[in-house]
Amino acid sequence: MLTGSKTTFKVRQMLPDIKERMLSQSGVNARSRDVFGLRCLPGECVLQRAVLVRKKLTAREGRGWLSGTLFCTHFRVAFVPQDSPKPDDNADPVLLGDHDVALASIEKVVAVGPSRTKLVTPNSSLKFTPEELVLYCRDLRVVCFLFDRLTPDTQVLEITYTIAKTYQPLKPGSVLSFQNAALGSVEMKQFLSNRRRGTDMNWFESSADWEHELERCGATGWRVSSVNDRFEMATSLPRFIMVPQKVLDTELKKSFAHFNEGRIPRLCWRHPRGSDLLRMASFQNNIYHEKDDIRNLELILFGAQSSLCVVVELGEELPSPADIQVAHSRLRALCLGDISTSVSVPDDKWLSTLESTRWLDYIRSCLRKASEVSCLLRGGHLTVALQEPEDRDLSCLVSSLVQIMCDPHCRTQQGFQSLMQKEWVMAGHRFYNRFNYHRDNDKEEAPVFLLFLDCVWQLWSQYPYRFQLTDDFLLALHDSVQLPLFSSFLANCQRERCKRTQHSSQSYTPVNGWRDLLPPGSASDPSDPPLPSVWDWGLQYSKQRLARFTQPVAPTPPLQTLLNGNLNTNPDTHKLADTIPGSVFLLSRGTFSCPANLLPWRSGGAGGGSSGVYKKSHRRAPSSENVPGLERLLKAWALAEFPQSLAANSGPQGPLDPYEPLLPLLMGPCMGLWRECYLRGALHAQAFSHPISANHPHPVERLAWEVQQLKDKLALAPTSSDANSPAKRAESRRVVDTNLNQNTNNGTFLFPASRPQGRDLGVTREVPAPPPCVLHASRAPPTASAPPARTGSKHNGGNKHTFLFGHSSATEARPDQRYYPAPNNAKLPKSNGSSVAS
Amino acid sequence: MLSLGSGGGKAAKPSFVSYVTPEEIRPEKETAKEEKHPDLLPGEMVFCSANTVLKLTHDEMSQHGVFGTLLCTNFRVSFTSAEEPGDVMAPLFKNKLYGENDIPLSCVDSIYGVYEDKRKLITGSFVKNKYPSKIIIHCKDLRVFQFALTFCKEEDAKRIFQGIIHHCLEPKPLKNVFAFSFCENTAFPGVQMQQRTMMFEQVEDWAADLSRTKGNCQLFTANENFDLSQHLPQFFIVPPNVSEADMMAFQGKGIPLWCWSHQSGCALFKTASLPLLPEENDQNAFMDKMHIAVADNYLCSVKIEDLSDTLPPIQDIQLSYNKFKQLFLIENTNDFWVSDMKWMSSLDTCGWLDTIKQCLQKAVQVVECLEKENTNVVIMEEGGSDLCCVISSLVQLMLDPFYRTLPGFQSLVQKEWVAGGHNFLERCNQLHMKDKENVSPVFLLFLECVWQLFQQHAPAFQFSETYLTVLSDSLHVPVFCTFLFNSPYHRASNFTADSPHVHRGPVSWPTVWDWSVQFDCKAQDLLINPLYVEKPKQPGRPSHRSKHQRQLSLPNSVFKTPPKKGFFKEEADSLKKILRVKRISRWMLSPDSPQPSSSIREFYEMWQSKPLDYHGLLLPCLEGPAVRVWMQRYLRWIQEVQIFGGGLVTVLSKMSDLLDQIQGLKRQLDCHDCTLALTHQRNWAQIIPAESDRSSVRLSSSFPFTNMRHNWSYKPAFPTGFLQTFMYSGDMADKEDDAPETVV
Repeated sequence: MLTGSKTTFKVRQMLPDIKERMLSQSGVNARSRDVFGLRCLPGECVLQRAVLVRKKLTAREGRGWLSGTLFCTHFRVAFVPQDSPKPDDNADPVLLGDHDVALASIEKVVAVGPSRTKLVTPNSSLKFTPEELVLYCRDLRVVCFLFDRLTPDTQVLEITYTIAKTYQPLKPGSVLSFQNAALGSVEMKQFLSNRRRGTDMNWFESSADWEHELERCGATGWRVSSVNDRFEMATSLPRFIMVPQKVLDTELKKSFAHFNEGRIPRLCWRHPRGSDLLRMASFQNNIYHEKDDIRNLELILFGAQSSLCVVVELGEELPSPADIQVAHSRLRALCLGDISTSVSVPDDKWLSTLESTRWLDYIRSCLRKASEVSCLLRGGHLTVALQEPEDRDLSCLVSSLVQIMCDPHCRTQQGFQSLMQKEWVMAGHRFYNRFNYHRDNDKEEAPVFLLFLDCVWQLWSQYPYRFQLTDDFLLALHDSVQLPLFSSFLANCQRERCKRTQHSSQSYTPVNGWRDLLPPGSASDPSDPPLPSVWDWGLQYSKQRLARFTQPVAPTPPLQTLLNGNLNTNPDTHKLADTIPGSVFLLSRGTFSCPANLLPWRSGGAGGGSSGVYKKSHRRAPSSENVPGLERLLKAWALAEFPQSLAANSGPQGPLDPYEPLLPLLMGPCMGLWRECYLRGALHAQAFSHPISANHPHPVERLAWEVQQLKDKLALAPTSSDANSPAKRAESRRVVDTNLNQNTNNGTFLFPASRPQGRDLGVTREVPAPPPCVLHASRAPPTASAPPARTGSKHNGGNKHTFLFGHSSATEARPDQRYYPAPNNAKLPKSNGSSVAS
Repeated sequence: MLSLGSGGGKAAKPSFVSYVTPEEIRPEKETAKEEKHPDLLPGEMVFCSANTVLKLTHDEMSQHGVFGTLLCTNFRVSFTSAEEPGDVMAPLFKNKLYGENDIPLSCVDSIYGVYEDKRKLITGSFVKNKYPSKIIIHCKDLRVFQFALTFCKEEDAKRIFQGIIHHCLEPKPLKNVFAFSFCENTAFPGVQMQQRTMMFEQVEDWAADLSRTKGNCQLFTANENFDLSQHLPQFFIVPPNVSEADMMAFQGKGIPLWCWSHQSGCALFKTASLPLLPEENDQNAFMDKMHIAVADNYLCSVKIEDLSDTLPPIQDIQLSYNKFKQLFLIENTNDFWVSDMKWMSSLDTCGWLDTIKQCLQKAVQVVECLEKENTNVVIMEEGGSDLCCVISSLVQLMLDPFYRTLPGFQSLVQKEWVAGGHNFLERCNQLHMKDKENVSPVFLLFLECVWQLFQQHAPAFQFSETYLTVLSDSLHVPVFCTFLFNSPYHRASNFTADSPHVHRGPVSWPTVWDWSVQFDCKAQDLLINPLYVEKPKQPGRPSHRSKHQRQLSLPNSVFKTPPKKGFFKEEADSLKKILRVKRISRWMLSPDSPQPSSSIREFYEMWQSKPLDYHGLLLPCLEGPAVRVWMQRYLRWIQEVQIFGGGLVTVLSKMSDLLDQIQGLKRQLDCHDCTLALTHQRNWAQIIPAESDRSSVRLSSSFPFTNMRHNWSYKPAFPTGFLQTFMYSGDMADKEDDAPETVV
């Protein structure tokens, strides 16, 4: 056994027997770290190890087998490949290495013997020596270790038992001990508290963050209200909410009672065409005595629009959380298969079984709903209010999907993270209950968030080059969910999160008495460790993995910052006076209707006749009968409703409107299965697919790399008389530097000057060829192990990427035009010798 | 294959239910009376025609048809219309032989007539006097046309209907196939097709292929004039110990014909099996003799695989394909929505994907025998030219990187299918025989399997998905001699019967590989896979096989040099005998043992442990949902499932963008160095970005088969403006009584 940290050897929080064993064998440890090279986290102890183990690699890792040493610490099962480079002691700790599995994400341990397989539980004993150890993880990975004949039998047995004992399935309190194991040490706490937040995404914590978002979407007529600052009005809402300017805080206060859990209509996002996206819970209180009440309610609901509001009821057509849970567990069973039960679906029934899980159906209905809403918003100048009884599950899903479809900013990594922060974390999705980390509340469990990720993946797979983020990023997010370490997921709303950080010292008393073993007088508070945010990716993944989170090539069309709502085309929005309440429609099953009780205060008795005589009517859109989906309707109206401004330039030659929503196709053949996620573990699928070695990166990546190299070469080339004179280059460096500074200050300004017409800052007007030195530092030549052209600087990987993207598009735009006349129509000669072949 | 360029945007597939009766839409365009004839091909003649036929199109929401002329010629059913708007852009991918509204006669799959809202499948025997108000034509390339005859003159309608029925459904002699009159009237200048495609019509091609693979079998030329047997190819290669007398024994049946030699020395053979009766000792003895002859080829081992035992019969294949294609023959959108509900389970139930999987699996088993066990393999089935062709070509495709290049693939089809005597004429039913017994999409099945390989290992193939799609369409264009005959003998006999009065040699027949007959240069570039990873140049090593493949052949070293002379000879012979007895019996006994699956798994693991080499062995993944639907072929006409600005096309166009950039940068660099050594040029990069860069967002996923120009405007929009106009104008109440009303 060994402990591998650079810090002192610690025995903490150990079960007595393990502790004894560790102590008794500690003599071996002095040099073992050099031999096996596991870099422990501060305070992490190795409980057991086994040598000569081979790990089966998945498709992403290149397939095949990798031999090395297997460790079990009290935080993770770690695997160190034989010839892995010596860990750098000075680097920041990464929680999980590339081949590691956190104990908390293990769901099942199965030992495979010569003739039998057995599920290993903490209490079970094996009657055979396992040849293979299979770890089924909650994130749908299946990790398979193969023991060599030369691995000592005791090591094999011991590590199997140790893993089975420590992964602690379904035990209350296990999450906490896991967190402590990972983050509880003094060094780790210190490290975490020194960790700085990324400044390039919006965290939506301070009111300035919210203001910034208002500004970003150009939502005039809205303001940030701090009426809920102490969570008095609505416990599940964030401290700050975006409400209409017209409504004062005092007026606002009266409205909370009328909505379930006080979740009043709040602005989520404003479409550049001037439509607002709102979300709210169902109406609660049916007593509307005062006129003012009603006026306020209408003002809030209509927001800045005042003419037309469409309420989108999410409950009816979308799956309930319980449905999602059932579907997901079926999908799991189908995709994972199971060695221990050896139940597998015959191949000729695979698709039918997949269909019967209904998972894809649910994705489809969510995407359909989001497309409907996107199209509504695109029409301009109306309010769309998403309504869900609790406003905490599917409205998170739909509102963020809508924004991803409509707002290119949300398709960048930073923008996506901000969106998650806004629509899920702050908005009070009950991550904690939905993921059921403590396994104490099975009824509430439902992977709504995973359904959302799959929806995003479907969009991504249909339009890969409209996204800056990649499926690697989505996959990483998918996996992080199963790691109960992140503050983002370990609470149900902002209030709970705040509570935890404020009173963390009193919030938890150890149950199982492990704490008694702690050395007394340890400097820091022995309470819960500070939990990091999930967006602190550097904690989880190596830089190589992080570099894969974004596309190697800038998306088309180039992503730009939001143009502050200046796409408002018809200025005659305010035809009706501000005080006049407009009409309300209900969008349901692809048709508009206007049921009498849509707004309870308007309907008959309680509403009072004076506030608005609203004819009880029910109007159905034409030809909506028997439409299995809205798509047909949508297509039908396409031409008639094509906005004039767009029609002018939307011919095939015109520039693409970046705000044209990405509408996914939802027909059966177009829905894909997220293989990289669901099937990566499945052993049967692994056994037969081809190895993609690291030497064969995607051709696009290789081409991008080659472009980069050529650009570097060009920048370095001995220049004669043209624009690349040293003076100019020096200037360019300065300009780029300013640019960078701006990026750090202004998180959303991601792609500076990507197109000439996209420049809205004077400074970036002159973006010439890049400074060669920076490029060479950041673009390493490809090696067999690391993918080319992907590195990031240590602290602000995001910024570095920003820079790279900005740079590449800038050079694309400028020097192309400078050096040769017409890059696109001229028949350029090309030596393809090295481009594809090699 | 047809491109949608010329017609100006009418979707080829009418797929919409008419909400508007044709009377309503009938325009005042009666003036457009003058017949517009299509440009006829040489040798093409019009049989009958009818004016004012309404071709129903699915165009936006309003169902409106296009009036025009429907013609039936000896080549195609053609619809021309003066109404269609002229084309702005030159189409990218236009077929020179037939346009988007043309259906080659042998491409017609089935015809339905609509009589008073009842749809009826029309078989050859139709009622003389009745004609339907609407004809629905399903094509073999999965297009669907609907023509309304209600506005024609009665006799016109009758005539065109009967003409179409007669020429599309009635049996006809081979001589009436259009290719004959086409070739009589066309001079094909010297057949300048891809010179590198080996046609396997000359003995040299066979010799070259044999020496390329270093096989040590004997080449037989005695059948050059089909004196030996009409079932055997002109030239063929057999194991060393087979004599001419053996070939006479059962009319060439049972003779193992060489397909391909592994570099270890073992080889793949295919044979038409004899009807083996237990009491017929002659036959058994003959078969044994043949097997021993094969075994003697290398290492005295042979595995015999009777494909009819393990693969479905061709009739079942036909059935499952028929079910499968119904999923894609969509007449109106509703059909599709309905099928969409149960999309995946209906895919499963038709079993086509499973058939594909079985074929690939069988091919992998054979590959394993050749590659891992170094055993000779004989595959056999009754005719020796259906599934044998599928499996043997697949095996060669997986093992030999040469066949994954464009000329290589074409040579492979020539060798295994055309020269190998696949009954194209019967299987495709080009002559519309009533007896459908022999019809089966075997060649399509092969292309499907290739596509599956392609989609899993795209960089290994020099040809593109579009190439495969086009090839599958060309099967039904009755112009090429490639797919017109049942066997080399059939072909030769038709040529010789033909040549006296035509005065032109068979040379002038175009083969399908002469792509310039169908496409111009630019379009031909789309047949090349831009992702293809070219083989790194290895000076001085002409071998096509790569290193790791050699390593895979384990037993090589053990038996590398079997002792052959000197005092070892006797021992060697006895060793041979022992081996022979042991191995032959073993292989013959255990075709169905449970072993294969586990050994296959090991084989896969062995393959996986090496880095993937696109110029080495390729194995398909067959588990779970790995076998997919060939979207481009089956879904290209269905607009509902086309992704605009998405899909694989974006990857391709992104790559071409990058290639452009690379070119530009290289040029810049060259300028710097003042060495304008401009090397050879590849056009592909200019194809997609013809509309300038950033255009990828406007291509649809079924590129190049549909015209993006029209699809773009189909981008769905939600009817909010519609709502708003109602709201603002406030006259909704006037329009509809129960409309909601806003009151202050």
